[in-house]
Amino acid sequence: MKIRLGKTRKNEFPFAIGIPAIVWQVLFFYLPLTLLVISSFLKFSATGAFEGVTFSHMKLFLSPTYFKVILASFFLALSNSILCLLIAFPLAHYMSFAGRKYRNVCLFFLIVPFWTNFLLHVYAWFYVLERHGFINTLLLKLHIISEPIQFLNSMPAILIMMVYYYLPFMVLPLYSSLERFKFNLIEASYDLGASFGVTFRRILLPLTSRGIRAGFFLVFIPSFGEFVIPELMGGDKKMFVGTVVSQYILGEGTGSLGAAFTFLSGIFLLITTVLLYILITNLLKPRIYHG
Amino acid sequence: MRNIKIENLTKSIHGQPILPKTDLVIPGGKFFALLGPSGCGKTTLLRLIAGLERADEGIIYLGDDNITKKPINERPVNIVFQNYALFPHLNVFENVAYSLRIKKLPKEVINQKVYKILEAFHLEAHIYKLPTQLSGGQQQRVALARAIVNEPDVLLLDEPLAALDFKLREKMLLELIDWQDELETTFIYVTHDQFEALTVADQMAIMNHLGEIEQIGTPKEIYEFPRSSFVARFVGTTNIFHGKLRNIDEEPEIAIPDLGTFKIYIPTKKEWMRDDYDLVMSIRPEKIFISKTEAKNFSNQIQGHVESIVYHGRSTQYNVHLENKMKVQVFEQNEEHFPHEDIDYDDEVYLYWQKENAVLLER
Repeated sequence: MKIRLGKTRKNEFPFAIGIPAIVWQVLFFYLPLTLLVISSFLKFSATGAFEGVTFSHMKLFLSPTYFKVILASFFLALSNSILCLLIAFPLAHYMSFAGRKYRNVCLFFLIVPFWTNFLLHVYAWFYVLERHGFINTLLLKLHIISEPIQFLNSMPAILIMMVYYYLPFMVLPLYSSLERFKFNLIEASYDLGASFGVTFRRILLPLTSRGIRAGFFLVFIPSFGEFVIPELMGGDKKMFVGTVVSQYILGEGTGSLGAAFTFLSGIFLLITTVLLYILITNLLKPRIYHG
Repeated sequence: MRNIKIENLTKSIHGQPILPKTDLVIPGGKFFALLGPSGCGKTTLLRLIAGLERADEGIIYLGDDNITKKPINERPVNIVFQNYALFPHLNVFENVAYSLRIKKLPKEVINQKVYKILEAFHLEAHIYKLPTQLSGGQQQRVALARAIVNEPDVLLLDEPLAALDFKLREKMLLELIDWQDELETTFIYVTHDQFEALTVADQMAIMNHLGEIEQIGTPKEIYEFPRSSFVARFVGTTNIFHGKLRNIDEEPEIAIPDLGTFKIYIPTKKEWMRDDYDLVMSIRPEKIFISKTEAKNFSNQIQGHVESIVYHGRSTQYNVHLENKMKVQVFEQNEEHFPHEDIDYDDEVYLYWQKENAVLLER
């Protein structure tokens, strides 16, 4: 084969190397998604026969009860993302600057849980959080509490597990943007009279905004639809989008209802994501008064 | 302007001693250069003055104030970093205005100050550009403007011109001298480049590999009268001869093995100067005269063999081998288009020098 550099033929198929990915994406994502949207408007009889088009599924979910479910998922996802950010930022900062030497060790311990089965993680957390588990035993022994605390089947338990599971998705993009950040920009900022707060706000945040945004949505979007963790750690007390969808989709003859709810909550997620994106971008934007 | 006085300053990083107990006085309002080989600790000293590093021991005074423990952002000191450290997300104006915005000056004052300094640095045309859209020389100017606009008592420059090409560097050096004259701020210029240090400095200090200060003085004092062989070798080029001191009380001489004895001049007699004492004689290449014919009026002469010739433009460098296999460098100004004497490879030549032009050093 002749390889010519410098003088290249005009590429008539600029997307040629993207074709396998495009086919894959269309076949396994866009197509099923379209089918899902269509099926949410279809009506079937009890025997499974097609009965026509309907908006009744949509109407059913446009009620405060289901809106509360969507809101619960939204706040779960939001608090999970914020908690992850608050924990991951100092960690990523440490890995990129002060603890550069230990960054591989940190990355290893961050990734290592992914090598084991997810259910094992859940049972490990059971052991830690249960009535006679690690934390309660420790607190009792230290006489900090006199009665064991009920951790499991509660909102904190769900959040603990969520943060634990999603943390690497926040740390990795943050780390990669902090890694490229030149530390002497911080020194220059201090040297020019800035305090820690001003430096953080005006230099560090705007220059790592891409990583923050990427990490935030990598956590926010999947945790909105998360159903395994709330199910296992929260008992059946709390209803989230994922719980409702899985109940309908797996339920007998309620597939269209599940599709409709997925569709509606998907639209909600899309809108909130766009709004959050604008909000975050504005919050992290550099302050340029002149120009 | 206040002096900077450094007393017993010690710093080690990761158990590696960088600065031994260092004492130094940097005169206020002067252009001070700190010259030393790469990795000798001169940047660390600068960072200690800026407050970017904590001293293990010792005190830094600015005038009468002890600023050793003063936080970075409260010191009336600004640093220009080697890689400029411009904020990549802020335009030129905002980069320069950064310190003024932090001081919360009124908007009109900020605009006025920033425009004035940007004009002085010939950056008016680039006000709204981001640092990445500027050339190296322009970035350098922005970095300087950003530090100077804050009106520090002391401006620290950490090899600020290292990334610029030769012509631009020469030009910036002269501009820096003008700025220092005008502002009368204390400039501390750290470099490993002797040309830069000699050009800008009113006073300079030479630091050796161990972080010790070998000599402080004007560029002329440092170049013409080095006090140690490290300084003689590090600043400029020189020829070093090892020999023994002879006849110190009458007509002092140096006896060099396999070469003979040569007349020397002792301006002020030092304690270590005794007969038979080992010493080092340093002669700068431009202070040696080279000729194929015998000449009078020189206190010393020696014979040699031209090994190679390097033409530099304004001068020519002759590498001459002496009888004892020692190599000597000689620089001759190319004063004439048609010199009366052509010296070529393999020529046998005489080297001459006046005894006053040799520097005697303790070995």
